[in-house]
Amino acid sequence: MTAAAPVEVETAARELNPRRFKVAPYLLIAPAIVMLVVALGYPLGWQLYTSLHHYGLAQQFGRPAEFVGIENFATLFGSSETWTVVIRSLIFCLVNAGLTLIIGLGAALLMKAVHTVVRLIIQGAMLLAWATPVTAAVTIWIWLFDWHHGVVNWVLAHFWPSMAHYNWLGSQFGFYAVATLIVVWMSVPFVALSIYAGLTQVPDEVMEAAQIDGATAWQRLTRITLPLIRPVLMIVALLQVIWDLRVFTQTRMLQDYQDPLNVDLLGTYIYRVGIGRSDFSMASAFSIFVLLLTVALSWFYVRQLIKEDN
Amino acid sequence: MPSLRKTLVAFAAIVMAAVWAFPVYWMVSSSLLSNVTLSRSTPTWFPAGGTLSNYRAVLADGRFGDALWVSLRVTLLTVFVVLIFAFLAALAISRFKFRGRKSFVLALLFIQMLPAEGLFIAQYKMMATTQLLNSVIGVSVLYIAAIIPFTVWMLRGFVAGIPAELEEAAQIDGCSPTGAFFRVTFPLLAPGLVASGVYAFLQAWNEFTIALVIMQDPVSRTLPLWLRAFIEGSRAREIDWGAVMASSTLVAVPVIVFFMVVQGRMTSGLVAGAVKG
Amino acid sequence: MRRKIAAALLAAATVITMAGCSDDTPNPSGTDTAKGQDITFWLIGGDTPQSARDYLIEEYNKRTGGTLTIVEQTWGDIITKLTTNMPDANNTPDVTEIGNTQSPSFTNVGAFLDISDMYQELGGTKLLQSFVDVGMVDGKNYTLPYYFGSRYMFYRKDVWEAAGYTEMPTTLDAFNAAVIDITTKNPLGIADFSGMFLGGQDWRDGVSWVFANGGELAKYENGQWAMTLSDPNTIKGLQQLQDIQLRASMAPTTARDQSPWLYINDSDSMTNDDGTTSATALSAATIMAPGWAHWSIGDLEGDARVWNPDKFGTYVLPGNDGKPAPVFAGGSNVGISAASKNVEGAKELMRIIFSAEYQQILGQNGLGPANSDYVNSLGNDEFAKALIESASNSKLTPAAVGWAGVEATGKLEEFFARVAEGGDVVALAAEYDATLTPLLNQA
Repeated sequence: MTAAAPVEVETAARELNPRRFKVAPYLLIAPAIVMLVVALGYPLGWQLYTSLHHYGLAQQFGRPAEFVGIENFATLFGSSETWTVVIRSLIFCLVNAGLTLIIGLGAALLMKAVHTVVRLIIQGAMLLAWATPVTAAVTIWIWLFDWHHGVVNWVLAHFWPSMAHYNWLGSQFGFYAVATLIVVWMSVPFVALSIYAGLTQVPDEVMEAAQIDGATAWQRLTRITLPLIRPVLMIVALLQVIWDLRVFTQTRMLQDYQDPLNVDLLGTYIYRVGIGRSDFSMASAFSIFVLLLTVALSWFYVRQLIKEDN
Repeated sequence: MPSLRKTLVAFAAIVMAAVWAFPVYWMVSSSLLSNVTLSRSTPTWFPAGGTLSNYRAVLADGRFGDALWVSLRVTLLTVFVVLIFAFLAALAISRFKFRGRKSFVLALLFIQMLPAEGLFIAQYKMMATTQLLNSVIGVSVLYIAAIIPFTVWMLRGFVAGIPAELEEAAQIDGCSPTGAFFRVTFPLLAPGLVASGVYAFLQAWNEFTIALVIMQDPVSRTLPLWLRAFIEGSRAREIDWGAVMASSTLVAVPVIVFFMVVQGRMTSGLVAGAVKG
Repeated sequence: MRRKIAAALLAAATVITMAGCSDDTPNPSGTDTAKGQDITFWLIGGDTPQSARDYLIEEYNKRTGGTLTIVEQTWGDIITKLTTNMPDANNTPDVTEIGNTQSPSFTNVGAFLDISDMYQELGGTKLLQSFVDVGMVDGKNYTLPYYFGSRYMFYRKDVWEAAGYTEMPTTLDAFNAAVIDITTKNPLGIADFSGMFLGGQDWRDGVSWVFANGGELAKYENGQWAMTLSDPNTIKGLQQLQDIQLRASMAPTTARDQSPWLYINDSDSMTNDDGTTSATALSAATIMAPGWAHWSIGDLEGDARVWNPDKFGTYVLPGNDGKPAPVFAGGSNVGISAASKNVEGAKELMRIIFSAEYQQILGQNGLGPANSDYVNSLGNDEFAKALIESASNSKLTPAAVGWAGVEATGKLEEFFARVAEGGDVVALAAEYDATLTPLLNQA
């Protein structure tokens, strides 16, 4: 914990420097843009192309792709499966992002409230979880929840004997419960540490003054702390929503292990349509739709961020 | 009763720490036990009498070393390029007003929202035509593009937090513009770069769907692919949980070590980033 | 109408084999054009043993002077890899294994080279017909059988005997009644006991009851494929299956064909460190599994399972006609990529794969050889006998273009699970016929 952080609160210290050429900013963003165009240009073009054509396994093996206009999108919007998956994903995303934020905020407040030693312990635990690669993490959780030999059922069976062989991944509910646990467990560290970082910037004098004025702990939290760390909360909330909406690795690995059926979320559904059914045009159309959906969902945040940016 | 409250709070914190650390503990503990022990109806809480035989079995074919080497190269190359490019872009959007700035910022955000699951055929074709299949460079290019957007977002907060006046003052004191940058701005940015670097590191280290398509040769597998192949191989018969947990531990250890090393700087980096958001 | 199968060859063939085999090996011709070609061969999963791989590499080098590179792919990702690599001449495997349910989709889009001209040379009608069928389009051969597996029953002799069964049932009806009876009696008083452990989503095993009653999953008629879940014979089989699921199996309705052997081992009845004995994990009297499962079944000695013939038995599910019930065959096909630049080398590898030596290596390792002449190389222990007998009447999934797509939807698992939960079989069959038929004909 070295290097005192640069604490500079005025945001608008960014006026144009007359000595620099107008071309400078373009030169600075050029490498990033080139990289993005090189790596994403062709795939995005391909996605757009296939979404407007009939493109399946036969086309992949050289048969000419027939232009079908917006037919793929029409099929997409006409299918009840699409909307089921979308709604399911939205609920999953909001529940996960919500839980992650609440628990993350709680953890951050705990870190702020406890003695340094305890704080280091909790930070260490968070870092362990954060550092565990996702492939390893999902594997651990599958093992913890294994219906036959898993330790979770063993513990639960002491309270509810019927849980001894409960098959968690066997029902939609159990599947999402385990998936949520994994996602929350993996996401909380980033949120907690970021919010904690924000909390350390809330001046102690302000809190003390509020306490002297008789504000309860709850009032201090909602009236002072939260508004002060609002920028951090905004950004982690936005990121959490984006990441949880496109969660893929965790659910795919769970489904590979055991699939209670009808648990596809956006990512795994695209994967199933594309790889499983070799219907690449529908997978592309769906991907584009998901992109637009995410943009729409986060529009409120985006506008806020831009406003604050100006 | 502030002392009672303090104890309760500390207790809650310890419980939380335990819950978060337990899965990792369980992974390491299980990795030391034999499959027979693991399939008992009573869990073995402490791996007393555990052995390293799972690790020996997992490491026997030497594939782990290959994968570790590939993963290290991919990750380091990615982190290095991402940090430079993202820093430059962050400098542009936080220090300059220019036409297209807002579109650029929005584009960065939207790119993160794109589902990657539908892109693999095109990514494969691109890498196959450019002869970059199985190459560290090929997969790194895709990673860099995927990671840059968020890193720019993260870094622009840090750059904006450093007043341009500081640099100008240094220049007045006789530093060259580059000198001023390296003596004044760069040290202040270090925590931000560490925090972004950690993010980039984790992304590159963990990714496996792109790698699956690009890194096909068994000797060019990254660690997540190695782990996945191992789990799949094990699952075909009866899952050998001990060995699977040993291989998971092996994949996790380098990241945990890396975190321990950068931990202090990372936290202060998050602090600085948090203020700007 | 290429769905007509005559797999009964096998059982007969085992009897005749010794007479005519071994000398009609394809000529080690070593075609000059194959000289020095370096080729790649994709295997899926770890089933092909190392000794067999070494043999292929050595023999290929001996015949052509070229290098054979074997790359092991996984079942979970093979479709992705085949989809990206096979059209790409620079990165395609020259020869690849492919799951037999995946074969129709890829052969129909032209991923494989037409090898009709080699069909006779590689074994002709001696090759397992049902596997040859899924590799055919319009009368031409694209992929051929690589090896076959089969499914049969493993049962606990002690449990069956305790329930009063000293002889195993000889008809399907008797078997169905027996497993329900054993479950009701639960002679050893085991919690969550299954007379027959069968996962609800496990359609690969469950479909045996459909086949055994003369039912099919799909039929090819008037140039179109159609699902036939509502066919009266299929319904009859599904109802028997449902009866077993509801009254004899405690398996979760989500369980598939993964590791059922865990439930017939005594796996936990061992002495703990503190000297106490843990409760037994034995919870099923009978399971159905691929033949190689016998390596995971038995008494625990050290860390290994040792088959105990006094306690465990193998059993081939009988039909009601005295023949073995048709079960869903395991195994895979093999073919040459249409994009291969090393066709001669690839053909040479095919000759090696179908040579007497290699077929026997497969057999010695418990993998059913594609060529019926070499089935005896499986040996004559009880596992080999059960494998050969159950495979003699085995079937594959429909050779429809869209079959892989049907499997990918997960609807078959869903259908079987809903049957297992006790749903209305007739209504469910009609519902899934309607959902899946359009996919069958869609490339």
